[in-house]
Amino acid sequence: MLNQLRITIIKYGAISLTNLQNQLAYVWDVAGRSAMIIFFMFIFTQLWTAVYESQETAVIAGLTLSNTIWYFIIAEVMELGKPRHDIRISEEVKDGSIAYTMGRPYNYLVYHLANGVGEAAVRMGLVFLLGLPVVIYYAGLPTVAARHLPAVFLVVVLAMLLDFFVFSIIGLLAFVTEDIFSFRLIYQKLVFILGGLMIPLDFLPDWLHRIARILPFSLTTYAPAKLFVAFDAAQFRQIVSSQVVWLLIIGAILYRQYRWAVRRLTVNGG
Amino acid sequence: MNELKFLRTLAGINLASAMEYRASFISQIVGMFINNGIYFVFWLIFFDRFGTVRGYNIGEIYLLFAIVTLGYGLAYMFAGNTGGSLAYLIAQGRLDYYLVFPRNVLLHVVFSRMVVSTIGDVTFGLIAYLFTGRFHPLEIGLFLLSAVFVALILVAFGVMAGSLAFFLGNTQYASQQLNMTMLTFALYPNSLFTGAARFMLYTIVPAAFVGAVPVRIVQERNGLLLLGLAGVAALMWGLATAVFYTGLRRYESGSAINVNV
Repeated sequence: MLNQLRITIIKYGAISLTNLQNQLAYVWDVAGRSAMIIFFMFIFTQLWTAVYESQETAVIAGLTLSNTIWYFIIAEVMELGKPRHDIRISEEVKDGSIAYTMGRPYNYLVYHLANGVGEAAVRMGLVFLLGLPVVIYYAGLPTVAARHLPAVFLVVVLAMLLDFFVFSIIGLLAFVTEDIFSFRLIYQKLVFILGGLMIPLDFLPDWLHRIARILPFSLTTYAPAKLFVAFDAAQFRQIVSSQVVWLLIIGAILYRQYRWAVRRLTVNGG
Repeated sequence: MNELKFLRTLAGINLASAMEYRASFISQIVGMFINNGIYFVFWLIFFDRFGTVRGYNIGEIYLLFAIVTLGYGLAYMFAGNTGGSLAYLIAQGRLDYYLVFPRNVLLHVVFSRMVVSTIGDVTFGLIAYLFTGRFHPLEIGLFLLSAVFVALILVAFGVMAGSLAFFLGNTQYASQQLNMTMLTFALYPNSLFTGAARFMLYTIVPAAFVGAVPVRIVQERNGLLLLGLAGVAALMWGLATAVFYTGLRRYESGSAINVNV
């Protein structure tokens, strides 16, 4: 049993490592693709500086301007660092190569998860490093305490897992619709508003804030960013428990959808 | 005249080809419409919460979105092979196909692709304009003309961004990001930016001519400024043509066999 687990970890670890090396081999290409963060952060700092000026206040909903700018870089790291495995699944469904990839000696979804870890590590690191000079110039250093970082890291990991589940569902929808462009777009845009990517949930009107807190979108973006800039133990516990509940719900949907997709797959040998 | 007829035929073929996959066609259009709608919702929430910021309020944003999305939609509905797509064709040696035709190479390449989702942008732009409450015929005319010039500017900028591949090799992502940068800056209130950033928006990445200037044209019913915008569009097309054909002299044909369907 333990030996089997060890072999499984080594197998998927090797997949993560291979993709990590692959991403590092083309690090300039990845950096080029991540460079938009510089412009995004510049625009966000200008916009929110103007907001704090116009409100003539140093704190809005418990966040200072510096907190808000740091909030946005963490939120952007979560958004731009995401692996794009849903697109790969959709392409594999469209060109039929899924018949081969599903037949390999690994779990298809766990393979994509392991692969995504390697990709996300490089992308998230680069997005953060590229955006950092703008953030430090306009907001200074963050106020986060080192002892809170492990808790934030846990929330980041659960957020990525949740995102992975949702994007897997979107990718597998290609079995029905072939093109998943609009599903991906709609999910992304829901994260923009209800996930807190464009505006922290604390700045939303009360009624929308309450809705956003119930839905899972904020758990992938707002949660890590908010805890990074203004850690609160009670909020941390509430976020982690919500993440676990949503992981169970969305995981169950994904499991059923995956089983259905495997049954639908017809492989003609030869 | 002949060229116009040719471009019309290309647009017709592109549309017919896109409509072949009906479900995908509709879902892309609806998806883009919702995508724009979400940005719209963001600004509604934003101004509801914070009121006027640096002279901009929701009225200006309605107009800004109407012009930029209509202009962007018109640009990419007819001329989708710019920016990253153009850079890809150049880097992969896929221009060969276009070079053998007795047609204007630049127009043929650029107008050979339709980005289906931009039909959603066009629809969104027209609906967004209804929210501005500006129904004077002069304002409507200025809005539509401005959107056409915005489209011309976006295509010209996209041609220049894509043509970088002639000089720098595979710039697919860099060209794509230049286009994205232009669009992103255009969709934010111009008054947020000062100093060097503002200068950049009127020169290297001329997003001001895609967003802020057309908004002023409609708000002030400023025909003179519209003429200025037409001048900028002409200048950018002149530049784009020069950059493309200068680059084309450096183009090296690919040995790969490509099938264009």
